[in-house]
Amino acid sequence: MKFRCERDTLAEAIGTAQRAVSARSGALPVLSGIQVTASDDHIELVGCDLDLTIRVQVPAQVDTDGQAVVPAKLFDGLTTRLKAGTVTFEVEGDDARISSGSAKAGVRLLPADEFPRVGEPSGSAVTVDAAPFAEALRQVIPGASRDDARPILTGVLLTATADGVRLVATDSYRLAVRDLAGVGMLSEGQRVLVGARGLNEVQRVFSSGKIDVTFGEREVRFASETRTVTARLIEGEFPNYEQLIPSGYPNRLTVSRATLEEAVRLMQIVGEGREGTPVRLAMSADGLELSANAQERADATEAIDAKFEGTDVTVAFNPQFLLDGLLSVEGDEVVLETLDPLKPATLKGTDHPEFLYLLMPVRIS
Amino acid sequence: MPPEPHPCYNALVRVIVARCSVTYEGRLGARLPEATRLLVLKADGSIAIHSDSRAYKPLNWMSPPCVISERDNLLVAENPKGETLRVELLEVFEDHSYDLGDDPGLEKDGDEAELQQLIAARVQTLRDDFTLIRREYPTDIGPVDLLCRDGEGRAVVVEIKRVGEIAGVEQLIRYQERLDLDTRLAPTRGMFVATRIKPQARVFAASRGIDCVEVALDDLRDHDTPHLKLF
Repeated sequence: MKFRCERDTLAEAIGTAQRAVSARSGALPVLSGIQVTASDDHIELVGCDLDLTIRVQVPAQVDTDGQAVVPAKLFDGLTTRLKAGTVTFEVEGDDARISSGSAKAGVRLLPADEFPRVGEPSGSAVTVDAAPFAEALRQVIPGASRDDARPILTGVLLTATADGVRLVATDSYRLAVRDLAGVGMLSEGQRVLVGARGLNEVQRVFSSGKIDVTFGEREVRFASETRTVTARLIEGEFPNYEQLIPSGYPNRLTVSRATLEEAVRLMQIVGEGREGTPVRLAMSADGLELSANAQERADATEAIDAKFEGTDVTVAFNPQFLLDGLLSVEGDEVVLETLDPLKPATLKGTDHPEFLYLLMPVRIS
Repeated sequence: MPPEPHPCYNALVRVIVARCSVTYEGRLGARLPEATRLLVLKADGSIAIHSDSRAYKPLNWMSPPCVISERDNLLVAENPKGETLRVELLEVFEDHSYDLGDDPGLEKDGDEAELQQLIAARVQTLRDDFTLIRREYPTDIGPVDLLCRDGEGRAVVVEIKRVGEIAGVEQLIRYQERLDLDTRLAPTRGMFVATRIKPQARVFAASRGIDCVEVALDDLRDHDTPHLKLF
Protein backbone atom coordinates (compact mmCIF):
# COMPACT_ATOMS: atom_id res chain seq x y z
CA MET A 1 0.00 0.00 0.00
CA LYS A 2 1.27 3.44 -0.87
CA PHE A 3 -0.43 6.81 -0.94
CA ARG A 4 0.27 10.51 -0.70
CA CYS A 5 -1.87 12.98 1.15
CA GLU A 6 -1.67 16.56 2.38
CA ARG A 7 -0.38 16.61 5.94
CA ASP A 8 -3.14 18.86 7.33
CA THR A 9 -5.84 16.77 5.69
CA LEU A 10 -4.34 13.54 6.98
CA ALA A 11 -3.72 14.90 10.49
CA GLU A 12 -7.30 16.16 10.78
CA ALA A 13 -8.65 12.80 9.63
CA ILE A 14 -6.45 10.91 12.09
CA GLY A 15 -7.56 13.23 14.90
CA THR A 16 -11.21 12.52 14.12
CA ALA A 17 -10.88 8.74 13.75
CA GLN A 18 -8.70 8.55 16.83
CA ARG A 19 -11.55 9.74 19.01
CA ALA A 20 -13.11 6.30 18.66
CA VAL A 21 -9.89 4.43 19.32
CA SER A 22 -10.11 2.35 22.43
CA ALA A 23 -8.64 3.99 25.49
CA ARG A 24 -8.77 0.67 27.30
CA SER A 25 -5.84 -1.59 26.70
CA GLY A 26 -6.06 -5.31 26.97
CA ALA A 27 -8.76 -7.31 25.28
CA LEU A 28 -7.98 -6.46 21.66
CA PRO A 29 -4.65 -4.67 21.17
CA VAL A 30 -5.44 -3.97 17.52
CA LEU A 31 -8.14 -1.53 18.72
CA SER A 32 -5.35 0.83 19.74
CA GLY A 33 -4.78 1.39 16.06
CA ILE A 34 -6.40 3.18 13.16
CA GLN A 35 -7.31 1.07 10.16
CA VAL A 36 -6.15 2.74 6.94
CA THR A 37 -7.55 1.59 3.61
CA ALA A 38 -6.27 3.06 0.35
CA SER A 39 -8.17 2.64 -2.89
CA ASP A 40 -8.99 4.67 -6.00
CA ASP A 41 -8.48 8.34 -5.19
CA HIS A 42 -8.95 8.32 -1.45
CA ILE A 43 -8.07 6.74 1.85
CA GLU A 44 -10.44 5.72 4.61
CA LEU A 45 -9.41 5.88 8.27
CA VAL A 46 -11.35 3.90 10.87
CA GLY A 47 -11.15 4.14 14.64
CA CYS A 48 -13.20 1.70 16.67
CA ASP A 49 -13.65 0.55 20.25
CA LEU A 50 -16.54 -1.85 19.50
CA ASP A 51 -19.10 0.59 20.97
CA LEU A 52 -18.25 3.45 18.67
CA THR A 53 -16.83 3.51 15.15
CA ILE A 54 -15.71 6.61 13.28
CA ARG A 55 -14.86 6.45 9.56
CA VAL A 56 -13.26 9.36 7.75
CA GLN A 57 -12.61 9.48 4.02
CA VAL A 58 -10.12 11.97 2.59
CA PRO A 59 -8.71 12.47 -0.90
CA ALA A 60 -5.28 11.00 -1.58
CA GLN A 61 -3.11 10.03 -4.47
CA VAL A 62 -3.11 6.25 -4.21
CA ASP A 63 -0.21 4.48 -5.90
CA THR A 64 -0.95 1.02 -4.48
CA ASP A 65 -4.21 -0.13 -2.92
CA GLY A 66 -4.05 -1.82 0.45
CA GLN A 67 -4.97 -1.90 4.08
CA ALA A 68 -2.99 -1.53 7.30
CA VAL A 69 -3.58 -0.82 10.98
CA VAL A 70 -1.31 1.88 12.40
CA PRO A 71 -0.90 2.54 16.17
CA ALA A 72 -3.10 5.59 16.61
CA LYS A 73 -1.01 7.64 19.02
CA LEU A 74 2.15 7.23 16.95
CA PHE A 75 0.32 7.91 13.71
CA ASP A 76 -1.19 11.07 15.14
CA GLY A 77 1.99 12.29 16.82
CA LEU A 78 4.22 11.72 13.83
CA THR A 79 1.83 13.17 11.28
CA THR A 80 1.14 16.38 13.18
CA ARG A 81 4.88 16.97 13.64
CA LEU A 82 5.88 16.38 10.06
CA LYS A 83 6.56 19.38 7.89
CA ALA A 84 3.56 20.86 6.12
CA GLY A 85 3.09 19.59 2.59
CA THR A 86 2.65 16.17 1.10
CA VAL A 87 3.01 13.14 3.36
CA THR A 88 3.97 9.81 1.80
CA PHE A 89 2.74 6.64 3.50
CA GLU A 90 4.08 3.31 2.33
CA VAL A 91 3.81 -0.17 3.80
CA GLU A 92 6.95 -2.30 3.67
CA GLY A 93 6.46 -5.71 5.25
CA ASP A 94 5.32 -5.22 8.84
CA ASP A 95 6.29 -1.55 8.89
CA ALA A 96 4.83 1.68 7.60
CA ARG A 97 7.17 4.38 6.30
CA ILE A 98 5.81 7.86 6.81
CA SER A 99 7.75 10.73 5.31
CA SER A 100 7.49 14.39 4.45
CA GLY A 101 10.37 16.44 3.05
CA SER A 102 13.56 15.11 4.57
CA ALA A 103 11.80 13.66 7.64
CA LYS A 104 11.15 9.92 7.67
CA ALA A 105 9.66 7.65 10.29
CA GLY A 106 9.07 3.93 10.55
CA VAL A 107 6.16 2.47 12.50
CA ARG A 108 5.50 -1.18 13.37
CA LEU A 109 2.03 -2.05 12.14
CA LEU A 110 -0.64 -3.92 14.06
CA PRO A 111 -2.08 -7.12 12.50
CA ALA A 112 -4.64 -5.87 9.96
CA ASP A 113 -6.58 -9.15 9.87
CA GLU A 114 -7.40 -8.79 13.59
CA PHE A 115 -9.21 -5.47 13.15
CA PRO A 116 -12.88 -6.18 13.91
CA ARG A 117 -15.68 -5.91 11.40
CA VAL A 118 -18.29 -3.89 13.23
CA GLY A 119 -21.91 -4.36 12.25
CA GLU A 120 -23.59 -1.58 10.32
CA PRO A 121 -27.34 -0.96 10.31
CA SER A 122 -28.96 -2.01 7.07
CA GLY A 123 -32.27 -0.12 7.20
CA SER A 124 -33.22 2.86 5.08
CA ALA A 125 -31.68 6.21 5.97
CA VAL A 126 -33.46 9.40 6.94
CA THR A 127 -31.81 12.67 6.00
CA VAL A 128 -31.81 15.47 8.58
CA ASP A 129 -30.17 18.87 8.99
CA ALA A 130 -27.00 18.40 10.98
CA ALA A 131 -26.82 21.79 12.70
CA PRO A 132 -30.05 21.75 14.77
CA PHE A 133 -29.53 18.10 15.67
CA ALA A 134 -25.95 18.78 16.78
CA GLU A 135 -27.13 21.78 18.80
CA ALA A 136 -29.81 19.69 20.53
CA LEU A 137 -27.21 17.05 21.33
CA ARG A 138 -24.89 19.70 22.76
CA GLN A 139 -27.67 20.75 25.11
CA VAL A 140 -28.63 17.34 26.48
CA ILE A 141 -25.35 15.39 26.52
CA PRO A 142 -23.97 17.07 29.70
CA GLY A 143 -26.98 15.63 31.53
CA ALA A 144 -25.97 12.04 30.74
CA SER A 145 -24.04 9.97 33.25
CA ARG A 146 -20.41 9.01 32.71
CA ASP A 147 -20.64 6.19 35.21
CA ASP A 148 -20.58 2.83 33.43
CA ALA A 149 -22.08 1.20 36.51
CA ARG A 150 -25.50 2.25 35.21
CA PRO A 151 -25.20 1.92 31.43
CA ILE A 152 -28.73 3.12 30.74
CA LEU A 153 -27.94 6.51 32.19
CA THR A 154 -24.90 6.85 29.92
CA GLY A 155 -27.24 7.14 26.94
CA VAL A 156 -29.48 9.75 25.38
CA LEU A 157 -33.06 8.68 24.85
CA LEU A 158 -34.48 9.61 21.44
CA THR A 159 -38.25 9.39 21.25
CA ALA A 160 -40.59 10.20 18.41
CA THR A 161 -42.90 13.14 19.05
CA ALA A 162 -45.84 14.45 17.03
CA ASP A 163 -43.68 16.93 15.19
CA GLY A 164 -40.15 15.63 15.55
CA VAL A 165 -37.95 14.01 18.10
CA ARG A 166 -37.32 14.45 21.83
CA LEU A 167 -33.87 13.99 23.30
CA VAL A 168 -33.55 13.13 26.99
CA ALA A 169 -30.53 12.53 29.22
CA THR A 170 -30.19 12.13 32.96
CA ASP A 171 -27.56 11.08 35.47
CA SER A 172 -30.12 10.99 38.31
CA TYR A 173 -28.96 14.38 39.64
CA ARG A 174 -30.23 16.36 36.65
CA LEU A 175 -32.37 15.81 33.61
CA ALA A 176 -32.06 17.51 30.23
CA VAL A 177 -35.00 17.41 27.82
CA ARG A 178 -34.92 18.92 24.33
CA ASP A 179 -37.73 18.88 21.78
CA LEU A 180 -36.54 19.16 18.23
CA ALA A 181 -39.35 19.94 15.83
CA GLY A 182 -39.26 19.04 12.15
CA VAL A 183 -36.74 16.24 12.55
CA GLY A 184 -38.52 13.02 11.64
CA MET A 185 -35.72 10.55 12.15
CA LEU A 186 -37.88 8.11 14.14
CA SER A 187 -41.03 6.28 13.20
CA GLU A 188 -44.17 6.84 15.27
CA GLY A 189 -43.79 5.52 18.83
CA GLN A 190 -40.14 4.61 18.33
CA ARG A 191 -37.76 5.00 21.30
CA VAL A 192 -34.05 4.32 21.12
CA LEU A 193 -31.25 4.81 23.59
CA VAL A 194 -27.91 5.82 22.09
CA GLY A 195 -24.64 6.13 24.02
CA ALA A 196 -23.90 9.76 24.87
CA ARG A 197 -20.25 9.26 24.02
CA GLY A 198 -21.13 8.31 20.46
CA LEU A 199 -23.59 11.18 20.14
CA ASN A 200 -20.96 13.57 21.44
CA GLU A 201 -18.83 12.58 18.46
CA VAL A 202 -21.83 13.05 16.18
CA GLN A 203 -22.22 16.64 17.34
CA ARG A 204 -18.51 17.26 16.90
CA VAL A 205 -18.18 15.65 13.49
CA PHE A 206 -21.41 16.90 11.90
CA SER A 207 -21.95 20.55 12.64
CA SER A 208 -23.42 21.58 9.29
CA GLY A 209 -24.93 20.19 6.11
CA LYS A 210 -27.07 17.09 5.96
CA ILE A 211 -26.62 13.75 7.65
CA ASP A 212 -28.16 10.39 6.88
CA VAL A 213 -29.41 8.59 9.97
CA THR A 214 -29.95 4.84 9.84
CA PHE A 215 -31.27 2.87 12.80
CA GLY A 216 -30.59 -0.84 12.96
CA GLU A 217 -31.43 -3.37 15.61
CA ARG A 218 -28.22 -2.79 17.52
CA GLU A 219 -26.57 0.23 15.97
CA VAL A 220 -27.32 3.65 14.64
CA ARG A 221 -25.28 5.25 11.89
CA PHE A 222 -24.89 8.94 11.19
CA ALA A 223 -23.25 9.57 7.84
CA SER A 224 -22.27 12.38 5.55
CA GLU A 225 -20.49 11.95 2.25
CA THR A 226 -17.07 11.54 3.83
CA ARG A 227 -17.68 10.77 7.49
CA THR A 228 -19.57 8.09 9.37
CA VAL A 229 -20.19 7.65 13.07
CA THR A 230 -21.70 4.33 14.12
CA ALA A 231 -22.78 3.89 17.73
CA ARG A 232 -24.18 0.87 19.52
CA LEU A 233 -27.68 1.17 20.92
CA ILE A 234 -28.08 0.63 24.66
CA GLU A 235 -30.62 -1.96 25.72
CA GLY A 236 -32.78 -1.43 28.77
CA GLU A 237 -35.59 0.63 30.21
CA PHE A 238 -34.89 4.35 30.53
CA PRO A 239 -36.26 5.87 33.77
CA ASN A 240 -39.78 7.24 33.62
CA TYR A 241 -38.52 10.81 33.49
CA GLU A 242 -41.83 12.56 32.78
CA GLN A 243 -43.10 12.00 36.32
CA LEU A 244 -40.04 13.81 37.66
CA ILE A 245 -40.96 17.13 36.10
CA PRO A 246 -43.10 19.20 38.52
CA SER A 247 -46.33 20.53 37.04
CA GLY A 248 -45.86 24.01 38.46
CA TYR A 249 -43.61 26.17 40.60
CA PRO A 250 -44.43 28.88 43.16
CA ASN A 251 -41.06 30.63 42.81
CA ARG A 252 -39.71 32.08 39.60
CA LEU A 253 -36.39 33.88 39.16
CA THR A 254 -35.54 35.62 35.89
CA VAL A 255 -31.90 36.58 35.47
CA SER A 256 -29.27 37.32 32.85
CA ARG A 257 -27.68 34.06 31.79
CA ALA A 258 -24.19 35.53 31.34
CA THR A 259 -24.28 37.36 34.69
CA LEU A 260 -25.41 34.28 36.55
CA GLU A 261 -22.82 32.15 34.76
CA GLU A 262 -20.01 34.50 35.80
CA ALA A 263 -21.21 34.56 39.40
CA VAL A 264 -21.47 30.76 39.57
CA ARG A 265 -17.94 30.44 38.18
CA LEU A 266 -16.72 32.75 40.96
CA MET A 267 -18.45 30.60 43.58
CA GLN A 268 -17.04 27.48 41.98
CA ILE A 269 -13.49 28.71 42.53
CA VAL A 270 -14.17 28.91 46.27
CA GLY A 271 -14.98 25.22 46.39
CA GLU A 272 -12.49 24.08 43.77
CA GLY A 273 -10.95 20.78 44.67
CA ARG A 274 -13.55 20.29 47.38
CA GLU A 275 -16.24 18.16 45.98
CA GLY A 276 -19.55 18.96 47.54
CA THR A 277 -19.12 22.67 48.17
CA PRO A 278 -22.43 23.99 46.92
CA VAL A 279 -23.33 27.40 45.59
CA ARG A 280 -26.24 28.92 47.52
CA LEU A 281 -28.79 31.00 45.69
CA ALA A 282 -30.75 33.25 48.04
CA MET A 283 -33.74 34.53 46.07
CA SER A 284 -35.91 37.39 47.24
CA ALA A 285 -37.70 40.49 45.98
CA ASP A 286 -34.33 42.26 46.30
CA GLY A 287 -32.81 40.00 43.70
CA LEU A 288 -30.37 37.13 43.88
CA GLU A 289 -27.42 36.63 46.19
CA LEU A 290 -24.99 33.82 45.52
CA SER A 291 -22.65 32.51 48.18
CA ALA A 292 -20.22 29.66 48.69
CA ASN A 293 -18.29 28.69 51.77
CA ALA A 294 -15.53 26.12 51.77
CA GLN A 295 -14.54 26.03 55.41
CA GLU A 296 -10.79 26.22 56.03
CA ARG A 297 -10.30 27.51 52.48
CA ALA A 298 -12.35 30.41 51.19
CA ASP A 299 -15.77 31.96 50.94
CA ALA A 300 -17.48 34.37 48.57
CA THR A 301 -20.76 36.18 47.96
CA GLU A 302 -22.12 38.16 45.06
CA ALA A 303 -25.43 39.96 44.64
CA ILE A 304 -26.83 40.26 41.14
CA ASP A 305 -29.89 41.90 39.68
CA ALA A 306 -32.76 39.53 39.09
CA LYS A 307 -36.52 39.53 38.99
CA PHE A 308 -38.08 37.24 41.57
CA GLU A 309 -41.70 36.24 42.01
CA GLY A 310 -42.65 34.04 44.95
CA THR A 311 -41.64 33.42 48.55
CA ASP A 312 -38.07 34.12 49.66
CA VAL A 313 -36.09 30.93 49.35
CA THR A 314 -32.48 29.76 49.46
CA VAL A 315 -31.56 26.77 47.33
CA ALA A 316 -28.10 25.27 46.96
CA PHE A 317 -26.76 23.50 43.89
CA ASN A 318 -23.70 21.67 42.73
CA PRO A 319 -22.00 24.58 40.90
CA GLN A 320 -20.83 22.42 38.00
CA PHE A 321 -24.29 21.00 37.43
CA LEU A 322 -25.75 24.50 37.51
CA LEU A 323 -23.10 25.71 35.07
CA ASP A 324 -23.79 22.80 32.73
CA GLY A 325 -27.42 23.88 32.68
CA LEU A 326 -26.59 27.54 32.09
CA LEU A 327 -24.32 26.60 29.20
CA SER A 328 -26.98 24.37 27.69
CA VAL A 329 -29.84 26.83 27.88
CA GLU A 330 -30.27 29.15 24.91
CA GLY A 331 -30.99 32.87 25.06
CA ASP A 332 -29.74 35.86 27.03
CA GLU A 333 -32.14 35.42 29.92
CA VAL A 334 -32.92 32.34 31.96
CA VAL A 335 -35.72 31.38 34.29
CA LEU A 336 -35.00 29.34 37.41
CA GLU A 337 -38.13 27.89 38.92
CA THR A 338 -38.08 26.37 42.41
CA LEU A 339 -40.48 24.69 44.81
CA ASP A 340 -38.37 24.53 47.96
CA PRO A 341 -34.75 23.84 48.95
CA LEU A 342 -35.12 20.07 48.58
CA LYS A 343 -37.22 19.70 45.43
CA PRO A 344 -36.01 19.71 41.82
CA ALA A 345 -35.62 23.12 40.18
CA THR A 346 -36.04 23.88 36.50
CA LEU A 347 -33.82 26.02 34.34
CA LYS A 348 -35.12 27.30 30.99
CA GLY A 349 -34.43 30.03 28.49
CA THR A 350 -37.14 32.71 28.65
CA ASP A 351 -37.87 32.42 24.94
CA HIS A 352 -36.84 28.81 24.46
CA PRO A 353 -39.44 26.45 25.86
CA GLU A 354 -38.06 23.61 23.74
CA PHE A 355 -35.28 22.93 26.29
CA LEU A 356 -35.69 22.11 29.96
CA TYR A 357 -32.98 21.39 32.52
CA LEU A 358 -34.18 19.85 35.75
CA LEU A 359 -31.71 19.96 38.61
CA MET A 360 -31.78 18.53 42.12
CA PRO A 361 -30.56 20.86 44.87
CA VAL A 362 -27.84 20.05 47.38
CA ARG A 363 -29.05 19.72 50.95
CA ILE A 364 -27.63 22.39 53.23
CA SER A 365 -27.87 22.73 57.00
CA MET B 1 -4.38 -53.76 66.72
CA PRO B 2 -6.37 -51.09 64.84
CA PRO B 3 -4.96 -49.80 61.54
CA GLU B 4 -2.87 -46.60 61.76
CA PRO B 5 -4.69 -43.55 60.49
CA HIS B 6 -3.18 -41.82 57.42
CA PRO B 7 -2.67 -38.04 57.19
CA CYS B 8 -5.36 -36.11 55.35
CA TYR B 9 -4.27 -32.84 53.68
CA ASN B 10 -7.21 -30.74 52.83
CA ALA B 11 -6.71 -27.31 51.23
CA LEU B 12 -10.43 -26.75 51.59
CA VAL B 13 -12.66 -26.00 54.52
CA ARG B 14 -14.48 -29.19 55.45
CA VAL B 15 -17.80 -29.12 57.26
CA ILE B 16 -19.11 -32.31 58.81
CA VAL B 17 -22.34 -32.89 60.70
CA ALA B 18 -22.12 -36.24 62.43
CA ARG B 19 -23.04 -38.27 65.43
CA CYS B 20 -19.68 -38.64 67.09
CA SER B 21 -17.72 -39.04 70.28
CA VAL B 22 -14.54 -37.13 71.05
CA THR B 23 -11.56 -37.91 73.24
CA TYR B 24 -8.85 -35.41 74.17
CA GLU B 25 -5.54 -36.46 75.67
CA GLY B 26 -2.95 -33.91 76.71
CA ARG B 27 -2.68 -31.62 79.72
CA LEU B 28 -5.74 -33.42 80.99
CA GLY B 29 -8.13 -36.03 79.76
CA ALA B 30 -11.55 -35.05 78.44
CA ARG B 31 -14.31 -36.87 76.64
CA LEU B 32 -17.38 -35.77 74.74
CA PRO B 33 -19.91 -38.56 74.76
CA GLU B 34 -21.80 -39.62 71.68
CA ALA B 35 -24.01 -36.86 70.24
CA THR B 36 -24.73 -35.02 66.98
CA ARG B 37 -22.21 -32.24 66.43
CA LEU B 38 -20.78 -29.87 63.87
CA LEU B 39 -17.13 -30.39 62.94
CA VAL B 40 -15.18 -27.70 61.14
CA LEU B 41 -11.81 -28.63 59.65
CA LYS B 42 -10.26 -25.47 58.27
CA ALA B 43 -7.64 -25.28 55.57
CA ASP B 44 -5.34 -23.65 58.13
CA GLY B 45 -5.06 -27.04 59.83
CA SER B 46 -7.39 -26.45 62.75
CA ILE B 47 -10.30 -28.55 63.91
CA ALA B 48 -13.25 -27.41 66.03
CA ILE B 49 -16.16 -29.42 67.40
CA HIS B 50 -19.36 -27.45 67.97
CA SER B 51 -22.69 -28.25 69.58
CA ASP B 52 -25.84 -26.22 69.09
CA SER B 53 -24.91 -23.79 71.87
CA ARG B 54 -22.11 -21.48 73.05
CA ALA B 55 -22.31 -19.30 69.92
CA TYR B 56 -18.84 -19.22 68.34
CA LYS B 57 -17.18 -21.27 71.09
CA PRO B 58 -16.40 -24.90 70.25
CA LEU B 59 -16.76 -27.74 72.78
CA ASN B 60 -13.31 -28.82 71.89
CA TRP B 61 -10.73 -27.78 69.35
CA MET B 62 -7.13 -27.93 68.28
CA SER B 63 -5.38 -24.89 66.86
CA PRO B 64 -2.73 -25.02 64.13
CA PRO B 65 -0.09 -26.20 63.78
CA CYS B 66 -1.52 -29.69 64.06
CA VAL B 67 -1.69 -32.72 61.85
CA ILE B 68 -5.10 -34.15 61.11
CA SER B 69 -5.32 -37.68 59.81
CA GLU B 70 -8.29 -39.80 58.89
CA ARG B 71 -8.89 -43.49 58.75
CA ASP B 72 -12.27 -45.07 58.23
CA ASN B 73 -14.48 -43.52 60.91
CA LEU B 74 -11.69 -41.92 62.93
CA LEU B 75 -10.30 -38.36 62.73
CA VAL B 76 -7.12 -37.76 64.71
CA ALA B 77 -5.58 -34.34 65.29
CA GLU B 78 -2.13 -34.09 66.88
CA ASN B 79 -0.07 -31.06 67.72
CA PRO B 80 3.69 -30.72 68.41
CA LYS B 81 3.05 -30.74 72.16
CA GLY B 82 1.83 -34.30 71.86
CA GLU B 83 -1.81 -33.44 72.53
CA THR B 84 -4.30 -35.61 70.66
CA LEU B 85 -7.91 -35.11 69.71
CA ARG B 86 -9.71 -38.21 68.47
CA VAL B 87 -13.12 -37.95 66.84
CA GLU B 88 -14.97 -41.16 66.23
CA LEU B 89 -17.56 -40.66 63.50
CA LEU B 90 -20.48 -42.96 64.22
CA GLU B 91 -22.93 -41.63 61.64
CA VAL B 92 -22.16 -38.89 59.09
CA PHE B 93 -25.11 -36.73 57.99
CA GLU B 94 -23.27 -34.08 55.98
CA ASP B 95 -19.69 -33.94 54.76
CA HIS B 96 -18.80 -31.11 52.37
CA SER B 97 -15.62 -29.30 51.43
CA TYR B 98 -15.44 -25.73 50.17
CA ASP B 99 -12.76 -23.41 48.89
CA LEU B 100 -13.54 -20.10 50.58
CA GLY B 101 -10.79 -18.25 48.68
CA ASP B 102 -8.97 -15.22 50.01
CA ASP B 103 -10.77 -13.36 52.74
CA PRO B 104 -10.88 -9.58 52.33
CA GLY B 105 -10.64 -9.10 56.08
CA LEU B 106 -12.92 -7.40 58.55
CA GLU B 107 -13.94 -3.88 57.67
CA LYS B 108 -14.75 -1.97 60.79
CA ASP B 109 -17.67 0.36 60.49
CA GLY B 110 -17.32 3.90 61.72
CA ASP B 111 -13.77 4.04 62.96
CA GLU B 112 -12.40 7.21 64.52
CA ALA B 113 -10.89 8.46 61.27
CA GLU B 114 -14.25 8.26 59.52
CA LEU B 115 -16.01 9.88 62.45
CA GLN B 116 -13.48 12.70 62.44
CA GLN B 117 -13.90 13.20 58.70
CA LEU B 118 -17.70 13.21 58.89
CA ILE B 119 -17.82 15.60 61.85
CA ALA B 120 -15.21 17.92 60.33
CA ALA B 121 -17.41 18.27 57.26
CA ARG B 122 -20.31 19.40 59.46
CA VAL B 123 -19.07 20.81 62.72
CA GLN B 124 -22.45 22.48 63.17
CA THR B 125 -23.65 19.00 64.10
CA LEU B 126 -21.83 19.55 67.40
CA ARG B 127 -23.05 23.08 67.95
CA ASP B 128 -24.79 25.49 65.61
CA ASP B 129 -22.24 28.26 66.11
CA PHE B 130 -19.15 26.15 65.46
CA THR B 131 -16.76 26.78 62.60
CA LEU B 132 -13.80 24.56 61.89
CA ILE B 133 -10.32 26.02 62.33
CA ARG B 134 -8.48 22.85 61.38
CA ARG B 135 -8.55 19.07 61.46
CA GLU B 136 -5.54 17.37 63.06
CA TYR B 137 -4.37 20.63 64.65
CA PRO B 138 -0.74 20.03 65.61
CA THR B 139 0.55 20.25 69.17
CA ASP B 140 3.87 19.05 70.55
CA ILE B 141 2.14 16.05 72.15
CA GLY B 142 0.27 15.03 69.02
CA PRO B 143 -2.48 16.39 66.79
CA VAL B 144 -5.84 17.47 68.15
CA ASP B 145 -8.72 15.84 66.25
CA LEU B 146 -10.55 19.10 65.55
CA LEU B 147 -9.96 22.67 66.56
CA CYS B 148 -13.10 24.76 66.19
CA ARG B 149 -14.22 28.25 67.12
CA ASP B 150 -17.56 28.93 68.75
CA GLY B 151 -19.89 31.87 68.22
CA GLU B 152 -18.16 33.80 71.02
CA GLY B 153 -14.79 33.40 69.32
CA ARG B 154 -13.37 30.86 71.79
CA ALA B 155 -11.21 28.03 70.54
CA VAL B 156 -12.79 24.64 71.18
CA VAL B 157 -10.64 21.51 71.34
CA VAL B 158 -12.63 18.52 70.12
CA GLU B 159 -11.53 14.97 70.87
CA ILE B 160 -13.35 12.25 68.94
CA LYS B 161 -13.60 8.62 70.00
CA ARG B 162 -15.69 5.75 68.82
CA VAL B 163 -16.42 4.80 72.42
CA GLY B 164 -15.84 7.55 74.95
CA GLU B 165 -13.90 6.44 78.03
CA ILE B 166 -12.05 8.24 80.80
CA ALA B 167 -8.73 7.88 78.98
CA GLY B 168 -10.12 9.90 76.10
CA VAL B 169 -11.18 12.72 78.43
CA GLU B 170 -7.70 12.73 79.97
CA GLN B 171 -6.19 12.96 76.50
CA LEU B 172 -8.41 15.95 75.74
CA ILE B 173 -7.35 17.67 78.96
CA ARG B 174 -3.69 17.23 78.00
CA TYR B 175 -4.34 18.83 74.61
CA GLN B 176 -6.15 21.74 76.24
CA GLU B 177 -3.25 22.30 78.60
CA ARG B 178 -0.85 22.51 75.67
CA LEU B 179 -3.05 24.80 73.59
CA ASP B 180 -3.75 27.08 76.57
CA LEU B 181 -0.06 27.98 76.41
CA ASP B 182 -0.82 29.66 73.07
CA THR B 183 -2.14 33.15 73.87
CA ARG B 184 -4.00 33.28 70.53
CA LEU B 185 -6.12 30.31 71.60
CA ALA B 186 -6.29 30.46 75.40
CA PRO B 187 -8.49 29.88 77.23
CA THR B 188 -9.78 26.90 75.25
CA ARG B 189 -12.97 24.97 75.78
CA GLY B 190 -13.08 21.20 75.53
CA MET B 191 -15.61 18.96 73.84
CA PHE B 192 -15.59 15.18 74.05
CA VAL B 193 -17.39 13.48 71.17
CA ALA B 194 -18.18 9.79 70.67
CA THR B 195 -20.89 7.51 69.34
CA ARG B 196 -21.27 6.30 72.94
CA ILE B 197 -19.85 7.92 76.05
CA LYS B 198 -19.48 5.80 79.17
CA PRO B 199 -21.09 7.26 82.33
CA GLN B 200 -17.78 7.48 84.22
CA ALA B 201 -16.22 9.42 81.34
CA ARG B 202 -19.21 11.74 81.24
CA VAL B 203 -18.97 12.47 84.99
CA PHE B 204 -15.22 13.04 84.76
CA ALA B 205 -15.63 15.35 81.74
CA ALA B 206 -18.34 17.36 83.51
CA SER B 207 -16.08 17.78 86.56
CA ARG B 208 -13.51 19.41 84.28
CA GLY B 209 -16.01 21.62 82.45
CA ILE B 210 -15.83 19.58 79.27
CA ASP B 211 -18.95 19.22 77.12
CA CYS B 212 -19.91 15.73 76.01
CA VAL B 213 -21.69 15.08 72.72
CA GLU B 214 -22.87 11.73 71.41
CA VAL B 215 -23.23 11.49 67.65
CA ALA B 216 -25.09 8.97 65.48
CA LEU B 217 -22.94 7.57 62.71
CA ASP B 218 -25.84 6.97 60.33
CA ASP B 219 -27.09 10.53 60.72
CA LEU B 220 -23.62 11.86 60.02
CA ARG B 221 -23.39 9.71 56.93
CA ASP B 222 -26.75 10.90 55.68
CA HIS B 223 -25.54 14.44 56.12
CA ASP B 224 -22.33 13.52 54.37
CA THR B 225 -24.20 12.88 51.12
CA PRO B 226 -26.08 16.11 50.63
CA HIS B 227 -26.46 15.56 46.89
CA LEU B 228 -30.10 14.83 46.37
CA LYS B 229 -31.22 12.63 43.50
CA LEU B 230 -34.14 12.76 41.14
CA PHE B 231 -34.66 9.00 41.35
